[in-house]
Amino acid sequence: MRVQRMFLPAVLLIWSIVVFIPFYLVVTMSLKSPMDLQFSPLSWPSSLQFANYWKAWTQANLGHSFMNSILITATSVILIVILSSMAAYPLARRTEKWSAMLYVYFLAGIMVPFQLAMIPLYKLLKALHLIGEYTGAIMIYSAMGISFAVFLYVSFFKTVPREIEESAQIDGCGPLRLFWVILFPLIKPITSTVVIINSLFIWNDFFIPMLFLQNKAMRNVPLSLFTFTSEYTNNWMLIFAAVVIGSLPLILLFILLQKHFIQGIASGAVKG
Amino acid sequence: MAGSICALHLRRGSMKRIGFDGVFLMPAFMVFTLFLVFPVISSFYYSMTDWNGLSSSMEFIGLDNFQRMFQDKAVWSGLKNTFIIALLVTVFQNGIGLLLALGLQGTGRINRFMRVWFLFPALLSPLAIGYIWSYMYNPLFGVINSILEFIGLSDWTQDWLGDKKLAIYSVIFAIIWQWVAFSMIIYVAGLQSIPRDMYEASNIDGAGALSRFKHITFPLIAPAFTVNMVVTMIVGLKLFDIVFVMTNGGPGGATENLALMLYRQAFSLNQMGYANAIAILMFAIILIFSLIQVTLLRRREVEY
Repeated sequence: MRVQRMFLPAVLLIWSIVVFIPFYLVVTMSLKSPMDLQFSPLSWPSSLQFANYWKAWTQANLGHSFMNSILITATSVILIVILSSMAAYPLARRTEKWSAMLYVYFLAGIMVPFQLAMIPLYKLLKALHLIGEYTGAIMIYSAMGISFAVFLYVSFFKTVPREIEESAQIDGCGPLRLFWVILFPLIKPITSTVVIINSLFIWNDFFIPMLFLQNKAMRNVPLSLFTFTSEYTNNWMLIFAAVVIGSLPLILLFILLQKHFIQGIASGAVKG
Repeated sequence: MAGSICALHLRRGSMKRIGFDGVFLMPAFMVFTLFLVFPVISSFYYSMTDWNGLSSSMEFIGLDNFQRMFQDKAVWSGLKNTFIIALLVTVFQNGIGLLLALGLQGTGRINRFMRVWFLFPALLSPLAIGYIWSYMYNPLFGVINSILEFIGLSDWTQDWLGDKKLAIYSVIFAIIWQWVAFSMIIYVAGLQSIPRDMYEASNIDGAGALSRFKHITFPLIAPAFTVNMVVTMIVGLKLFDIVFVMTNGGPGGATENLALMLYRQAFSLNQMGYANAIAILMFAIILIFSLIQVTLLRRREVEY
């Protein structure tokens, strides 16, 4: 009995340390001077080099990449929310066969690994002159995000009572207005799940930018970090300073909205 | 409320309704079809060509790419690595995730704080995780070796990412480090949905902690278990970025999985057709394994 009671707390303690050490490493390293490297990697910096952050910010061109990341993430997420919620509404309400078939059509996207679409996408974007354009990446993210979002929205719309729409229709409300003014506010919980899951993925993704947004002016934060690292190999102080800067927006957002984050992940997954 | 907003509109017939369904569905349908379905379908065609990605012409070569793939030793070793990663990630991420969830299922402040803390790695870009763990594992100035030396276990120090046998496990640990809290959160949600009186009844029966877990907790979190198993397996099977940053498939192909291999074939070796054949193999594996898993696990869910 005693062993059992100690077991879980011991696991928690060990895992908190395992989570802590890499974060401690990143933060202390980002504040070290090259001289400190002769000491143990876990030693405290002999003096705090905040200048590392400024250097990383300018040399990795992070200001510009931040704007790119914000633009790409925000546009893609807004598109996913608008397109998926609108498509989900008739799919949840209509009982005809085409509706069920179309629903399965959208859902099939969940199973498809991006790699299967990757090479034809490259050819397609080339043909459309969208390689190295924000639009190309945004369209890919949107297409990838639609499946899961449609799934979440459809299951939520089915829980919204029809009486709300019927009374609105009797009042003479057109479908578009009915949707945006009356229904959309009701589906906020799912919208926050969709926004969280997709922002997390799109903000941190560097694979799609690496393939489709190579030119310097278009790079997002992870891709700038990647190119910066290959130019400044082994300047770990600057690399980690850039890592901290690039991770900060999501971490701050997470601390502010942690309840929504955790609920979003849990509800998103349990319904999946 | 609705009356004031919508007063000017009149209800129309069903023809109109179909028109509006189109307005609602069309945008999503077009984006999804053009940028996902169409590429996926054409990938089956490209897999039967010798397209090199540069020239505009390509030749139809039937199933030659697939034949070549099954004779390619690198593909077999990539397949093996893919399975090792997926299997170990699934097992350990669920094992550790469930243990953490059992310890933190309460609603108290400390529990909530710890759950938030454990989620921090999941917020980082896989790229950042790659850099951080490359440094942790570094044989000369890395953190793990220096800790081992500090506690007097210098015999245990290793070249964690440079050793052919070890590298893949080192990478797997970094993946679990990043994602385990996702599984934990899903298990916590499952655990919190178990009614209290289930436990009270078992207390009266005098059931021990382990048997209570086996007979009450575990069956009742079956849906969370299904989701977690399937999701972690799929993530494991198609993993790309962390491996790409940490080892880029090395040393000597010891960590090269299918995702990495097809990326290299496509964009370094310009073998677009062949790479697509590997992508189809990957897709088939994901499809088959998740169908098997869902069928088996759903059956278990129904039993209880």
